[in-house]
This record gives sequence, C-alpha cells and structure tokens, in this order.
Amino acid sequence: PVSLLAMPSYKLNYFDARGLGEVSRQLFILSGTPYEDNRIPKDQWPALKEKYGFGTLPVLEVDGKQIPQSLAIARYLAKEFGFYGANAFEAAWVDALADQAKDFLSEMRPYFVIAMGMAEGDKDKAKAEIALPAIKKHFDLFEKAAKDNGSNGHFVGSKLSYVDILISEFVFSIDSFMPGSFDAFPTVLAVRAKVTSIPAIKEWIEKRPKTVT
Amino acid sequence: SIMPSYKLTYFDGRARAEVARQILYLADIPFEDVRISLHDWPSLKSTTPFGQMPLLEVDGQSLPQSFAIFRYLAKQFGFSGDSPFESAWVDALADQHADYFREILPVLLTIWGFTQGDRMALVKEVATPARDKYFPLLEKIAKDNGLNGHFVGDSLTWVDLLIAEHVGSINQHLPGFLSAYPSVIKTVNKITSTPRLKEWIEKRKETTF
Repeated sequence: PVSLLAMPSYKLNYFDARGLGEVSRQLFILSGTPYEDNRIPKDQWPALKEKYGFGTLPVLEVDGKQIPQSLAIARYLAKEFGFYGANAFEAAWVDALADQAKDFLSEMRPYFVIAMGMAEGDKDKAKAEIALPAIKKHFDLFEKAAKDNGSNGHFVGSKLSYVDILISEFVFSIDSFMPGSFDAFPTVLAVRAKVTSIPAIKEWIEKRPKTVT
Repeated sequence: SIMPSYKLTYFDGRARAEVARQILYLADIPFEDVRISLHDWPSLKSTTPFGQMPLLEVDGQSLPQSFAIFRYLAKQFGFSGDSPFESAWVDALADQHADYFREILPVLLTIWGFTQGDRMALVKEVATPARDKYFPLLEKIAKDNGLNGHFVGDSLTWVDLLIAEHVGSINQHLPGFLSAYPSVIKTVNKITSTPRLKEWIEKRKETTF
C-alpha cells in the first residue's frame, strides 16, 4: 500500500454545483482518495477569480500546483487512478466520447440559459428546436457506442472509465429538467445504472449537496 | 515490431486535421493523407463513427474527434509533455483554445467562404472580443514559460502545433490581427522554425483553410 505521506494533497475548487466538477469528485471517491471538496459561493467568486490561472473553475490543486479546465483535470485523475481505458487506443476513444459530450453541452447551452431563466425566450420552443435535436444527434452516437462495445455497461472497454461517469451525470442533470429525455437510449441508461450501482457512488449521490445543476 | 498503418481522412484543408499531419510528419511516420471534397462528403458521412471528420484509422480501426486524435498520436510519438502534470497543462491549454475557437469559428467560416456574412462586422463584433478575451492569457502563458519557444514545458507538444497552426491561419487572412501579442508571435515563430515542421509547411499544398 502506498504510504499516505507519499500521496499528494488534492483540492478541487469549484462552485457549489455538480456541473463540470462532478466527474472529478467521483474519480476521487471511486479511487478512495481523500480530497478537499472546496465549493466557492457564487458571490465570493469575483474576488477570487484572479487567483486562478484561466479565471475559470474548476481548478484542481495537486500539492498546491494548479490544473484548470474540467476535462484536463478529469483526464489527469483518470490516468492517476486507472479509469482511462486498458490501452492507448481505448483511452483515445474515451477522450473522443468525452469531447463529443462536451460538444453536446455546447449545443444545449442556448436551451439551458432559457430554461434556467438567465435569458429571454420561449422555453417550449427552445426545448423543441434546440434541446431535443441536440439530444437525438449526440445520444444516437452514445447509444451506438455503448451497443458496439457489447452493451456491457461501459462506453469503452470492459472497465469503468471517466466518460461513463461524465455522460451519466449529464443524463442525470438533463433528466431533472426534462424527465424521460433519454428513454430512447436504453443502453446509455444501462451505463448510468452500472455507474450508480457502485456502492461508493450510490452513497455519494445520496449524501452529496443537492444542487440545481 | 511492425508499425501500424495510419490513415487520416479530412477535407482538403488544414483546419481540424493539420496538427495530426504535422505530428506524423515530425515523427517520420508514413501515413495516408486522404482529402475528401465537399461534394463527396455527404455520402461518406454515415460511414464514420460520429458523422464527422477528421477521422484517424489505425490498422483499420477508426478514431474520431480531432483532439482525441492529436492526443493519441502525441502520446505515441512524444509530443504530449514530459510529465503527467505537463500533459494536463497541454490538455488544459488546448481546451481553453477550443473554447476561444468555438467563439471565432463563425467568423472563420465566412472568411473561408463556407457561409455568407458581413466579414468586417464579424471581425469587429465577434472575432475581436473573442481575441481580446483569450490572447492576453496566451501572452502571459508564453512569458511565464520563459519565452522558450513553447507554451507548456520545454519540448514541442501538440498544443504548440495547435496554436501555431491557428496563428498561421489568422495571419493568412487577417494580417496584423494579433500584433498586440508579441510573445505569442515570437513563440509561434520558434515553433514553426522547428526544422522538420518548417519543411512540412514549405512543401505542403496551399489551402484557403
């Protein structure tokens, strides 16, 4: 066993939300690695912004050294803790699906800002014209990937990877806004079921702070 | 050991594939450089995993998504940073660049002739704010890294290639647009004078994008 003294100290800085930080929190939990889950209140952020290299959150601190950008952090932790595929080509597919999931979020953003009341707009119109087409376009791909992988509860290979967690969390969040959005993607839902059945994750989901996003 | 075969498929341009071509050329790895016309793409689209290009095939196995391709090749051939921490910074800067690129893309698509638009208005109202948000950060990163000719660490990485390619494209169509960022320009010039990269740039086909 690795000496606790040899292990780096980890601090994850993010807002009090699941959002782009949640995948990394779950990687710490799955690996049994202690970390400081620093949740910065929105009103304190402007004053703290310049402490962080890119002026954005999340930022991971490893022995005080910063790493910004949510997926760079997730990839770093996935590599450290073994949630990054069984070989280089699997790792590349994990990355490809993660970037596709990020593209999906970008396409959903105009809907989110309306749905959350941060911009003017007809919520139903935005759902029909923005959200539903984006979900269909990207989740057809994720459903196919999960099926082509053997419908084994993972998007890539035969072990949990960070993209299983990432996409599962997106499903959870969007389903909370639009229940049933993923009924047409049962193999994706099976990946989520497998992730959330892991005792440590199940326990975390039950006790984690309940936030809108 | 027998080397895998590499085939890269993209449009006839640099844009989202050029970094992959450069990594393979820098590593002296032969690859099939397939360029698809806009006319032929629709019928090919459904044969690709994500309906998108670029697409890398390694011994016939497909890999989509440009950054996944770049990271994979960079890792294979030594262009992904000298430590896990450095690799994370390469990834982080690439994602930050992608956020900026997403904002400026509508302007580039008009400049490249793919969409209609008021070029001057787009440069003023979209490209300029996007630049002003991102390039000061890049300028600081180049300086903080010691103006050593790299954006991260002290060896060539795929994010060096990514940023250098973009700056080249901007200089091609909007000369002077980045003149307020001398450390970025200096770093890019050092990157593109890497001997084998210089050779690739000089002999490659000239394309609009």
